Amino acid sequence: MSEDIKISVFGIVGSPLCVASSDGQKVYERLKTALETDRKIVLSFHNVTTLTSAFLNAAIGQLYGTFDEKQIRELLKVEDMEQDDLALLKRVVDNAKLYFKNQKRFDKVVEETQGNEDDESQSDTAGATQLHIER
Amino acid sequence: MIFPMPKLIRHDYASFETLARLYEETKECALDDILLDMQATRWFDADMCAAFGAILYSLEKRLNEVNLTHLLPDIETILSKNGFLSHYGRVKIPDEWGTTIPYQRFDVKDDHYFASYIEDELIHRSEIPKMSPGLLKKFRESVFEIFSNAVLHSHTELGIFSCGQFFPRQNRLDFTVTDLGVTILENIKNYTQNEFSPEEAIVWATKEGHTTKRGNLPGGLGLKILCDFINLNGGCLQIVSDAGYWQLKDSKIVTKRLTYSFPGTIVSIEINTADTGVYVLTSELNAEDIF
Repeated sequence: MSEDIKISVFGIVGSPLCVASSDGQKVYERLKTALETDRKIVLSFHNVTTLTSAFLNAAIGQLYGTFDEKQIRELLKVEDMEQDDLALLKRVVDNAKLYFKNQKRFDKVVEETQGNEDDESQSDTAGATQLHIER
Repeated sequence: MIFPMPKLIRHDYASFETLARLYEETKECALDDILLDMQATRWFDADMCAAFGAILYSLEKRLNEVNLTHLLPDIETILSKNGFLSHYGRVKIPDEWGTTIPYQRFDVKDDHYFASYIEDELIHRSEIPKMSPGLLKKFRESVFEIFSNAVLHSHTELGIFSCGQFFPRQNRLDFTVTDLGVTILENIKNYTQNEFSPEEAIVWATKEGHTTKRGNLPGGLGLKILCDFINLNGGCLQIVSDAGYWQLKDSKIVTKRLTYSFPGTIVSIEINTADTGVYVLTSELNAEDIF
């Protein structure tokens, strides 16, 4: 018997349309519980016809805020995804990695500036925000 | 009060300007009679009902009585077919050619109703022209991205409004989504604490990875995905938020300032339904290499 935990996206959402962030949240909760067991997980997209970045951000992207990148790579696999859906997921994953990397930098600077009670701290915070903008 | 509607209502800069002016001139009205006089109106792009309806809904919310008068028969017919005029005392009439995508209001929690609406009114209707499977999938994803964007960023209590129209001879499908919530400018100013013009704010929001979200939920892809699709399809994407106007067409971006502010965000897409392009990736992706 396989040790892998199999999770069906269609089973959780109950529809082939995986488009709402709130549905992605349900998948995230399941994945989070599964990742905490330290067992390998296969996430199946069988019968899913439509995906959005909002859904995938909630379902998978936010895992990078909770779990280590290495841990996710070692334990999580996806299957039954078409090539263009894989491309969307890859984009979401790359974006999430960057988002949390920048967020750590952002939080660190905010933390530092919060120590200063004078007026200067406000302009420091605004400057720190720009780290995240990449204009 | 009487508001005279102009000769043409199209989903273009001039008409967005008109609707922003309508909001500006009526925003203090409460318990009033508002008459939209359409005597001069010769053309009404049906998808603009989403933005028009949103403003009228906000007027009714303040207990104003809203009426539309002197509609040309052709306009009355199209706005009756898509269900818009049912909100203003007319009866919905059957759409025998099946070219309308009904006017509808959704609450932010109505993601599933919106999904069913898109499937029933756009995907599974025999009257809608056959689009290539790749195009249909991309189109479907795009409208869901627009709706999700409104749900996640507008925090609107007034709802999200949508409407569309298909033009068979022109191989064109127009679809517009409007919310009356927090504008892109307001979200970005709150997030960055920096000054932006309304149109700069839209430019910022359409860049990949730019998001005003904080916390554990990443974002910043939806509008970029939409832009990529429109560029490949040869269609047009327009965004109005606050006093900002932004248009993407032929891979070129045009921004302008509206004289008055729109109290939310309008996203309007024009799709070329004759697009036979195959949406494939330049290189094969391996499921093992995603994370």
